[in-house]
Amino acid sequence: MEPDVSIESSARIQVAVLPIGTVPSNMLRDYYSMLLPLHRIPLSAISSFYTEHQKSPFAHQPWDSGFLQFKFVLGGSQPSPWEDFQSHRKTLAVIGICHCPSSPDLDSVIEQFSNSCKSYPSSLVARCFAFCPDDSQLEDGGKKGGNLRLFPPADRQTLEFHLNTMMQEVAASLLMEFEKWVLQAESSGTILKTPLDSQASLSSEEVIKAKKRRLGRAQKTIGDYCLLAGSPVDANAHYSTAVELARLTGDYFWHAGALEGSVCALLIDRMGQKDSILEDEVRYRYSSVILNYKKSQDNAQRVSPLSFELEATLKLARFLCRRELAKEVTELLTNAADGAKSLIDASDRLILFIEIARLYGSLGYERKAAFFTRQVAQLYLQQDNRLAAISALQVLALTTKAYHVQSRASMFENSIPHKGIGSSVADSGKKYPQSAVSLFESHWSTLQMVVLREILLSAVRAGDPLAAWSAAARLLRSYYPLITPVGQNGLASALKNSAERLPPGTRCADPALPFIRLHSFPLHPTQMDIVKRNTAREDWWAGSAPSGPFIYTPFSKGESNNVKKQELIWVVGEPVQVLVELANPCGFDLKVDSIYLSVHSGNFDAFPVSVSLPPNSSKVITLSGIPTSVGVVSVPGCIVHCFGVVTEHLFKDVDNLLLGAAQGLVLSDPFRCCGSPKLRNVSVPNISVVPPLPLLVSHVVGGDGAIILYEGEIRDVSICLANAGTVPVEQAHISLSGKNQDAVLSYSFEILQSCLPLKPGAEVILPVTLRAWQVGLVDPDTSAAKSASGSIMRHVKDGINPSLLIHYAGPLQTSGNPQSNGSNVPPGRRLVVPLHICVLPGLSFVKARLLSMEFPAHVGENLPKLADTNSNSNGGHADSQTKMDRLVKIDPFRGSWGLRFLELELSNPTDVVFDIRVTVKLENSSDEGNLFGDQDAAEYGYPQTRIDRDCSARVLVPLEHFKLPVLDDSFFMKDVQADGVGGRNTTFSEKNTKAELNACIKNLISRIKVSWHSGRNSSGELNIKDAVQAALQTSIMDVLLPDPLTFGFRLVRNDFDSEKPEAEKESNVDDVQSPSKDSVLAHEMTPMEVLVRNNTKDLIKMNLNVTCRDVAGENCVDGAKATVLWTGVLNDITMEIPPLKEVRQSFCLYFLVPGEYTLAAAAVINDANDILRTRARTNSADEPIFCRGPPYHVRVIGTA
Amino acid sequence: MATTACFIIVSRNDIPIYESEVGTATKREDAAQLHQFILHAALDIVQDLAWTTSAMYLKSIDRFNDLVVSVYVTAGHTRFMLLHDSRNDDGIKSFFQEVHELYIKILLNPLYLPGSRITSSHFDTKVRALARKYL
Repeated sequence: MEPDVSIESSARIQVAVLPIGTVPSNMLRDYYSMLLPLHRIPLSAISSFYTEHQKSPFAHQPWDSGFLQFKFVLGGSQPSPWEDFQSHRKTLAVIGICHCPSSPDLDSVIEQFSNSCKSYPSSLVARCFAFCPDDSQLEDGGKKGGNLRLFPPADRQTLEFHLNTMMQEVAASLLMEFEKWVLQAESSGTILKTPLDSQASLSSEEVIKAKKRRLGRAQKTIGDYCLLAGSPVDANAHYSTAVELARLTGDYFWHAGALEGSVCALLIDRMGQKDSILEDEVRYRYSSVILNYKKSQDNAQRVSPLSFELEATLKLARFLCRRELAKEVTELLTNAADGAKSLIDASDRLILFIEIARLYGSLGYERKAAFFTRQVAQLYLQQDNRLAAISALQVLALTTKAYHVQSRASMFENSIPHKGIGSSVADSGKKYPQSAVSLFESHWSTLQMVVLREILLSAVRAGDPLAAWSAAARLLRSYYPLITPVGQNGLASALKNSAERLPPGTRCADPALPFIRLHSFPLHPTQMDIVKRNTAREDWWAGSAPSGPFIYTPFSKGESNNVKKQELIWVVGEPVQVLVELANPCGFDLKVDSIYLSVHSGNFDAFPVSVSLPPNSSKVITLSGIPTSVGVVSVPGCIVHCFGVVTEHLFKDVDNLLLGAAQGLVLSDPFRCCGSPKLRNVSVPNISVVPPLPLLVSHVVGGDGAIILYEGEIRDVSICLANAGTVPVEQAHISLSGKNQDAVLSYSFEILQSCLPLKPGAEVILPVTLRAWQVGLVDPDTSAAKSASGSIMRHVKDGINPSLLIHYAGPLQTSGNPQSNGSNVPPGRRLVVPLHICVLPGLSFVKARLLSMEFPAHVGENLPKLADTNSNSNGGHADSQTKMDRLVKIDPFRGSWGLRFLELELSNPTDVVFDIRVTVKLENSSDEGNLFGDQDAAEYGYPQTRIDRDCSARVLVPLEHFKLPVLDDSFFMKDVQADGVGGRNTTFSEKNTKAELNACIKNLISRIKVSWHSGRNSSGELNIKDAVQAALQTSIMDVLLPDPLTFGFRLVRNDFDSEKPEAEKESNVDDVQSPSKDSVLAHEMTPMEVLVRNNTKDLIKMNLNVTCRDVAGENCVDGAKATVLWTGVLNDITMEIPPLKEVRQSFCLYFLVPGEYTLAAAAVINDANDILRTRARTNSADEPIFCRGPPYHVRVIGTA
Repeated sequence: MATTACFIIVSRNDIPIYESEVGTATKREDAAQLHQFILHAALDIVQDLAWTTSAMYLKSIDRFNDLVVSVYVTAGHTRFMLLHDSRNDDGIKSFFQEVHELYIKILLNPLYLPGSRITSSHFDTKVRALARKYL
């Protein structure tokens, strides 16, 4: 069988084109291409070369419209055994092609050519065309003559013209030879044999039959020559005779041949005009041709004419091959395909399938064509040699489109000519034709895998490593779920093997593994956030940056145009990062040698990284790069160097894949099967690159780790800001954000301001004072939960920490671009300096309670300082040490009746030691009784209390110093500085509201500070206000307010003058304890005084009673068994005390029995006013107000 | 029962949504692949032929070697394609009609997305039973 047969091919003269000598293949191709258009030489053109020697047998030759047709066969072909049967199978002419520069010796050329011609005995005309001869050769060759034709060097057009002329000459010679042959055949007759004819000796009957047949066969052959000579009318006449004769003799084979020839003659005669009548005629005749060929097969011959039947079928199919007749053509082709089984010759089968595939292809049946193309490829693959494998590979490449397993490279090739036509609008919509269709077509996965596997196999055999790599990559990437792990490993090694045979750095259009999808575009890290600059405002950063914790604010709704598509700004020269997720769903370790972002815009330097992915795993990696120039950057995918080949992986493909997986249309989601969580579709934002900006970087001096503070600790931290950019910082502003902003006590904006402009490389140190907050106040869970979400919520990431927001910007106008207007100012930036404060629970406060202590005073010569219940007057001229002692030591003679302590119980759960120090700040305010003026804002420190780790301790804070000197309404007026005299207000009780009380308590509490320090540099304050307040709430009045009356006892010895100067009293402080002086002897008259002081600003009328009790608590003054005798009045002493004055009442006691006695004074106040009632907490106005003084001890010594 | 038969349902988008080898012949992988290739190629012919007739059953429309492709096209242009080597025309027609009923039941399932793969094992069992009965 021959390829590319058609009905008209019977009229083509086969010409062998042979290279003579050495002809470079490109030159040969060039010369051959010049020859090819000359396949049809009009008869009218050859008349000049034609000389009619005898009367031409082609009587009806159409000299004006006819033509000779040639079929050039490069390299010639083996003589066909069937060439007698169909003359167009004969090689009737030989054309040699010689490239003179490479074969200088023309003689040898001529000799070679004549040798070559010998293998074509059927050849009638032989010419050798020698191209590009030099002058000597021209001269030489001119003499040679013969078959050599020299083509002087000239341009192509001239050469073509020259060649055309030569071919006309060849055509004329052939025509003359045909005439000669026909005349000879008509006169003498020839023996025409086909392989069908029995080689055995014929019986006599058969000899007679054969003679008859010979006539018919001769007529048929003459008809063939007429056809070749371009005379269809003559041919038809001969064919008709031949058909008749063949029918008569039952020579089916030749009958069919003659019929075929007649159809060809008919078509040539009609000059390609087709109408339905002609079509029907052709169809009818051809069906009988096919029938006759079929009949001729009946005899059990060694050689089968089946191929002629199939060829005839194909010829008819080709003739009919139109969309409207698809059904008929399909029927013909199906029948032809059926014949393939019976074909013995493999190459015949190959040609048959090729032709069937071509015809289906021209019919528009792509899948049918692909099917037969694959059959062809299988036939090729059965031949176990490299050339066949190459052919198989090429053939299979044709099927990939129908099976949707195209290499991306071929898709681009296909799409380019489309664009050239100008259908760019239509193309833009489907830039990646694979995307949509392949998603839906992928369920023919069995077929696709088979085709790809065959491509891989043939590519390996053909030694085309790139094609093998590409096929293996497609197979692995698209069908990994259907391939066993062993198969996956096999493919991986196929990829590696192929890559070994490729030069390093080879690119392939088809990506293999891994699957890559865009994970996220991290916005700028908070350190380099870019803020649009509003030049119109002083605070240029306002409104452009996301401020506050809300994702959505109604005020930003107006600028919704950038909500749809994220905008991203990259800065020239600053590294950027993109997160991508890689997945290796296969069962082998995947080593990605390098992966980097693929940026086509050329203004981006990407940094490659290498990754290795274990089987069935996915990994999120960071790809980085540096924008190099201002403009727009688009990131369509990644360039991956894996399995030895460089490929580009587009994000879009994987997105489509995932989309298909979501709809259940594709096999599997590679990311999900690797256990990666589902990710929302990340769209590639518009990325624009802006010119360099300043870049502040910050670090905390002394380490960037978290600042570990105990609760309440105060510490100074220095933050170093450096300009790491290439542009100076010209504007800057600091603000606070985040939670716990009050933890930042102060920061020094002025220092930063004074350093502006901050040149590149310069740095400034910013002091910040921090105070740790209470751990319990902030829920630590909230920060952990939210930190997982992406960059939008990055404020939350810092959780409970406050941060410093530094907005800064470079110069308004870049020097290179002076005409940039206001709308085009370079953006500013925002630096977020998170203050990573880690607050450790420090000392923990367990409880606070108020303790009251009662020490009775001794009665001595000195009068207790009734006037000064604040009792700090003693410390006036003592140093601070004694002051401090005073605060905690109790003067036994003075007593401290009603002294109250605030007890703070603290525990230390940490593993360091804390020292507690309580300081009390005393305000020297409303105290007209205070005799010393140097008490302003005095602070009293108590000795340090050390609390070891895991221990508890109690700290006592005496509250006695807070008593007010005067009981008046000023306390209730909350005005400590109230006018001492005029502040009288009878309606104060109504104002005694809780709020005022609380304010007063706060005032008190604020004066108590519990500070601690631990180690070398940790110190802080304990926040105990609430606890103290709770403890004090109930008894604040007792703590703060003095009793309305104070009572005191004194021994009166020799000196009755009680008004000793204070200083003198003070000198006795140390010896007040000596018993000799203060003790009382029994059986002696002891003169005593009771002093009553009015602490109010009102006159108080009262009845005073003095009682004396022994240790048993019995009243020893009254009663039957009185052991104490007295003079003077002890009971019901009515007296009036003017405001803030004191009154003395003298009496004498006579102790009969030595021992301890207790003196106590009490008074019933008559006509009490509201202040007193409130103080006494009486409910009714009628209730008498009873005032009791503290007890005083008297030690009586002596003998009973 | 046919020795070789391959039944496949192709959705209107040319996706195979159901496929089963229903022949009695021992299964060979390359044969199964060939069956799919033949059926895939036959789609070209179905595509033309379906519009030339109002009948749903298109009879045998294509063949390769001794394997014949019979096709039944539903109103929604879903194609039931049977590759077989028997010539039991009536049986095939009945088979198609019954499979059509089964397919309609599948379509009536509100959870079934038309055009997606038929994964119902019940359907598969029924189809195989029908194949045993008719082919």
